[in-house]
Amino acid sequence: MNLYAQNILDRYKEPFYKDKKVKADLMAKEANLSCGDKLEVQMELKDGKIKTYSFTGVGCAISQASADILGDLVIGRTIDDVLNMTKDELLEALGIDISERRMKCALLGLVAIQKAIKQVTK
Amino acid sequence: MNYKTDFPIFQERPDLIYFDNGATAQKPQAVIEAEQKFYTTSNSNIHRGPHFLAEEATILYEDAKRTVADFIGAEKQEEVIFTKNATEAVNLVAHSFGQSLSEGDVVILSKLEHHANIVPWLQLKEQKGIELRYFEISENGIEFDPNLIDDRVKLVSVSGMSNTLGTITDLPPIIKATHAAGAKVLVDAAQLAVHQPINVHQLDADFLVFTGHKLYGPTGIGALYGKEELLGRMPPFLGGGDMIEEVLLDGFTPAEPPRKFEAGTPPIAQAIGLKAAIDYVIGIGFPKIHKIEHELTGYLLDKLNSLPFIKIIGPKKNKNRGSLVSFVMEGVHTHDIAEGLSQQNICIRAGHHCTQPLMDHFGIPGTARISLSFYNTKEEIDKCTELLKEVYNYFH
Repeated sequence: MNLYAQNILDRYKEPFYKDKKVKADLMAKEANLSCGDKLEVQMELKDGKIKTYSFTGVGCAISQASADILGDLVIGRTIDDVLNMTKDELLEALGIDISERRMKCALLGLVAIQKAIKQVTK
Repeated sequence: MNYKTDFPIFQERPDLIYFDNGATAQKPQAVIEAEQKFYTTSNSNIHRGPHFLAEEATILYEDAKRTVADFIGAEKQEEVIFTKNATEAVNLVAHSFGQSLSEGDVVILSKLEHHANIVPWLQLKEQKGIELRYFEISENGIEFDPNLIDDRVKLVSVSGMSNTLGTITDLPPIIKATHAAGAKVLVDAAQLAVHQPINVHQLDADFLVFTGHKLYGPTGIGALYGKEELLGRMPPFLGGGDMIEEVLLDGFTPAEPPRKFEAGTPPIAQAIGLKAAIDYVIGIGFPKIHKIEHELTGYLLDKLNSLPFIKIIGPKKNKNRGSLVSFVMEGVHTHDIAEGLSQQNICIRAGHHCTQPLMDHFGIPGTARISLSFYNTKEEIDKCTELLKEVYNYFH
């Protein structure tokens, strides 16, 4: 069975950024109630850039793996930069085609991160 | 007997294993043809047209009403209202019958109800200050507690068959106790009507709702049954053409039921399609349908019960339940199960199935759900079982 791409499965089974203790300057929760995916993201800021990232959550492989892969993408970047990050960039990093029916799962982490940033940039 | 040959989609897609019948059923050729024939032969608006084509269309529409009335054991077709689905039918009752309720009146639901039979009552609560009570539930379905029914209760609205657990509700004691307290009963038969014969008189239901598309009929058509004297007292739901007698600039008089509750052009072609669906189902007969579905369900339960990493949410035995089984898989999200099966042409549903209070009760975010029809087979269940093992192994 080849359900998902190897990187999705790997990051789902062995995430880098999940359940890590992080100084949470930024924090937000996001859920996809119809699927049962939940995420909470936390980020530490330094000089306007994201220094560390962690998330907690429960959900399907795509939502959790995507939330983990996002860590690779956001660390070291300014919050403005991350606020302007498009879904295409995330999808490219996931490296596989995400069907319409799984799009919400794939983007859940990004929505949460951008929500967390908007709370301080308001 | 291979019923799939009656259904064009299985010829179009021979690899399709369709296990999502609880969400919607496939359509037999007879239904597709009936709608098409209406459009190619008799298409016209109904009731008001003073020409031969309107008369033809009206006769077909009223025939469809008659078929639905007979299907549920209603004596008078005036007690049957066509809606666009079961959800709209519940909303009609909540809105119209709900007008007679006041602050402090009680409506009883259950914790396993579909959102269609919860949200309209929550809306009525916001609007009128009625109180909602809920029968508790277990994996065996509704746990009927007659103590919840006191003289403040005006309506008890419950599902005939749970779309998540598959349990079949023991309705007679609930209806008896409700009537003894002077209250009315609404039965949500959206799932039940597909798998068992219904008789509103035997049940003595005050209201009953079901939907066409789960019953092998078209989307866009549902039905509300209501006792004549109740419908007579209820104010209209939607306003517009057809539901009126007279319209002046400053007022109107409503028509008699059922037209009082059928505003605007109804789903005519869909009603005709629904008649064809009911005729098709009755042609096979519920004894046969039940026999096949019961056997398939037993087979499925055996298979699922034999997998140690699968837990059925609902009755584990093939008793007091329909052909619908919810389950969870150890360490694998339901969405991933569904994805794994979908990639191999098997359609199941995953999530909360529009029963969030039920999920909250069991403390789970959702389930995977297989809902069978008489056109499914044991071979399909075998294939699904093998794939469930593969999905489990993929994640472990």
